[in-house]
Amino acid sequence: MNITFDKHSLIIDGKREFIRSGSFHYFRTPGYELAKDRFMKMKSAGYNTVEIYFWWKYHSAKQGEYDFSGIKDVEKVLQAAKDVGLYVISRPGPFINSEVSAGGFPLWLIKDKDVIPRNRIGTEYHYSEKYMQYITEWYDKIIPIINKFDNVILFQIENEYANDEMDETYMRKLYDMARERGIKCPIFHNDAAPWGLWADVVDIYACDTYLYINPNQNWRKDCFCFDTLDNLECVFECKENAPSFIAEMQAGWFDKWDGSGYEHIRKDLSDEHINIVTKTALSQGVTLFNHYMCAGGTSWGNIACDEVYTSYDFTAPISEYGVLEDNYFKVKEINYFLKSFGFTNTEPVDNIAVKDENGVYSKIRKDNENSCKWLFLRNLNEEEKAVKVFEKYDSLIKPYDMKVCPVNLKLYACEIEFSDIEIFARLKNDDKETIFLIADENTYMYLSNGDKISGNKKDFDNLKFEENGKITQFVFLTRNLCKKTWINNNKVIFNADYVAKNDTIALKKSAEISYFDLKHGFSRNSFKTRPQTNHTLTLKNLDVSFCAPEIDIDYDYSSWKKLECSKYDSLSCGLSDEFTFYKGKIPKNIEEITLSARHLFAVYINGKEILSRNSYKIEKLQQIPETIQIHLDKKVLTKEDNELTILVENLGFDKGFSGETNHPRGLVTFETNPKYDVKFSVNEKLSIERGDNRESDSPYLAKITGTFDVKFREDEIFSKYLYLKNFPYRRATIFLNGVKIGRYIKRANVQDKFYLINEFLKEHNTIDIVVWQKSRNIHDSWDFKNEMKNVIIEVGDEIRYQLF
Amino acid sequence: MIVPEFLLKKIYQKGTLKKDDSGVSFELKNILGPGFISGFNFVQINDKKFESADVVFVTDGTEIKGNEVTEETPLKFRLGQKGTIKIADTTCIQDGLNKIIIEIMNPEAGKVIVKFEDNV
Repeated sequence: MNITFDKHSLIIDGKREFIRSGSFHYFRTPGYELAKDRFMKMKSAGYNTVEIYFWWKYHSAKQGEYDFSGIKDVEKVLQAAKDVGLYVISRPGPFINSEVSAGGFPLWLIKDKDVIPRNRIGTEYHYSEKYMQYITEWYDKIIPIINKFDNVILFQIENEYANDEMDETYMRKLYDMARERGIKCPIFHNDAAPWGLWADVVDIYACDTYLYINPNQNWRKDCFCFDTLDNLECVFECKENAPSFIAEMQAGWFDKWDGSGYEHIRKDLSDEHINIVTKTALSQGVTLFNHYMCAGGTSWGNIACDEVYTSYDFTAPISEYGVLEDNYFKVKEINYFLKSFGFTNTEPVDNIAVKDENGVYSKIRKDNENSCKWLFLRNLNEEEKAVKVFEKYDSLIKPYDMKVCPVNLKLYACEIEFSDIEIFARLKNDDKETIFLIADENTYMYLSNGDKISGNKKDFDNLKFEENGKITQFVFLTRNLCKKTWINNNKVIFNADYVAKNDTIALKKSAEISYFDLKHGFSRNSFKTRPQTNHTLTLKNLDVSFCAPEIDIDYDYSSWKKLECSKYDSLSCGLSDEFTFYKGKIPKNIEEITLSARHLFAVYINGKEILSRNSYKIEKLQQIPETIQIHLDKKVLTKEDNELTILVENLGFDKGFSGETNHPRGLVTFETNPKYDVKFSVNEKLSIERGDNRESDSPYLAKITGTFDVKFREDEIFSKYLYLKNFPYRRATIFLNGVKIGRYIKRANVQDKFYLINEFLKEHNTIDIVVWQKSRNIHDSWDFKNEMKNVIIEVGDEIRYQLF
Repeated sequence: MIVPEFLLKKIYQKGTLKKDDSGVSFELKNILGPGFISGFNFVQINDKKFESADVVFVTDGTEIKGNEVTEETPLKFRLGQKGTIKIADTTCIQDGLNKIIIEIMNPEAGKVIVKFEDNV
């Protein structure tokens, strides 16, 4: 594939292409089948490109060792994109952010004292030869895989990078390294804000645009957040002769621990936000955009940085579960429109379309491809706005709405002088075109022949014009039907919940489906789904066992790693898992222990809990270090040699966007008074993950086990959830068939519903929930073990489609 | 988010550092992007540090004391918007070159430290 570009657009094999891309994390949506499902949903929504981060740490647990097998087989992910017919924007970092632990860096890398991640300490530039050498290792592995695919159209170096000096050596080396390894497509960097950084280093300048990054902010009220986006065309002047590229255009936002919850964010953004943001970008001449995220995902295993919890739904158009959300249907509308008219060669026009703006943003672009103009009208007010367009046409714009209106658009058999009836899509062949319009009262189309057509129409109302043997047909669709209308290869399918590749129709319930193509016109077919069954079940006969034998007195830990140095944190110990056990002996004269740990921890002496604490605290965007002193009662230290166990849960490393990726985790500091050098032995993971299923004497970690079956059918697609209904405990880790799929930590807006990732589902499934409870709460219960058997664990369907 | 120093320096409007009987003043311009200021932590002029209560910010026709800008009561600061910092102290500034540090808070980026030097 030959990929070039000019100031207007990317040019692929000589043809201008508008890049309609969306982000997808293969590590958060594991497996070929899930990748293919999400890619097909993207394709069906009119995206032509998928953006993929390649995550270094996911593939490299040890220096020099790389795993691209099973769900880590990125070749299969790229193949899935190719099979579906999507281009790929490849982003192999080395730093990727994306709210993954350590921003994508392998732990062996950030542990190495000679490595300065990103050649930066704080904000200062410090070149690190060893860091560069390790990037060579990563690029040597990942780039040959990327190079196998000719549908890769863009390659990104680094991500959201800056340093005080703006020294270009690092970025230029990354660029050269990519080229030396055979990257042929244009190379770009994604600027964290539209500041024009590194424009001289790369082929195409690109940037993030996030208008809503604080869920406490009301983007509708504080609409000044559009300041940057409204002036984006000026920003892109930093790179002459390159198209305008938003490498991350906001399609949703991530929720954090103690955040406002995805339900709130989704409601807050709704489909209005993606509509306005995307269309404003179009009005600024953007011809490459990437919606971040397009498909949400799940931070299963140890994926997440400490900032985020398990769900990485991101309120994306395609949810974590693969559900098509309201913003998906809005994007589909925009993409179909863009696909219909190209939009790859436009220029701003200075003419004023709306004189008395009345709080309305208006912008005209001349379309050199369609020989017309497009007027963008945006209303960021809470009330409807009436404007006079070109001093001639009355137009009403709904609150928080944005439209792209054709001006002097010459069609086969008529010319639209102006229309604020939105165009959904156009199908055409050499002598016939059908334009689908979105029916909406108070909207009008003005034709050059003097006709004024009202948009107040019903589904399938239509008008036909003929001129010189050519036909233009307008067909109206209500917005509800637009949602269920799918276009693929010049064929339209109406009233389907979802249409996948090869016109496979997905239905939740029986429906009458209509078809249309230019040759045959309309036709109909009925589809009857199987009777609906209630797929929600509550797991019965739960088994409960205590599962932390490590805390028990006389537990044999002689095979554990013995710490030789005085540093206990997980990086120093060479440990990478979420859970770390520390065991050692302390004499009876110890009066006090002083320690700090990240992020949740508990201290046990002789099998009894002394303290259980959550040390994850954020203030003013900074994690607050916490040092805890524990006074030891004489009743606790009953022996000459007392057994000390510390269990620490590390919620992930800093993502490195503002802070350092190698901030210590695990047991960070530990001292005793009087001073005593505790010889710690360490081991990582929970006992069940190590295959140690011995019942423990200590009740602090208890495993609740339940089972359920799944019936797989060829003609169904589904996604399932696990719901911890009224879950009474503070912390839990959830395993599906031995794979850690979720973290439950009681906070405000706690996540209590978890995606049972299809890739890990089997016909017969086991759920293990390891509950980590405080001593006090255990002893408040008269029979803790039996009480736990009453936990309500529901398994149900988030979506289920029957395919036809 | 790391904002490179060269961009931060541009926030200060060169040549606006002034001294009169009422104190010291200088202008800032938001060249980074639209957002909120959620706190003025301090302003340091040469060796003298002024806490938020001693800082006055004049923008968009309004005068506000630094300690009145908090996470709960953030101040809107649009892209391109200008504002003047005023400090009622005349002793901190000297003839010739002065070193100034401003630490402000942004809800999303955290601490934003602007350092610059200018003559009165």
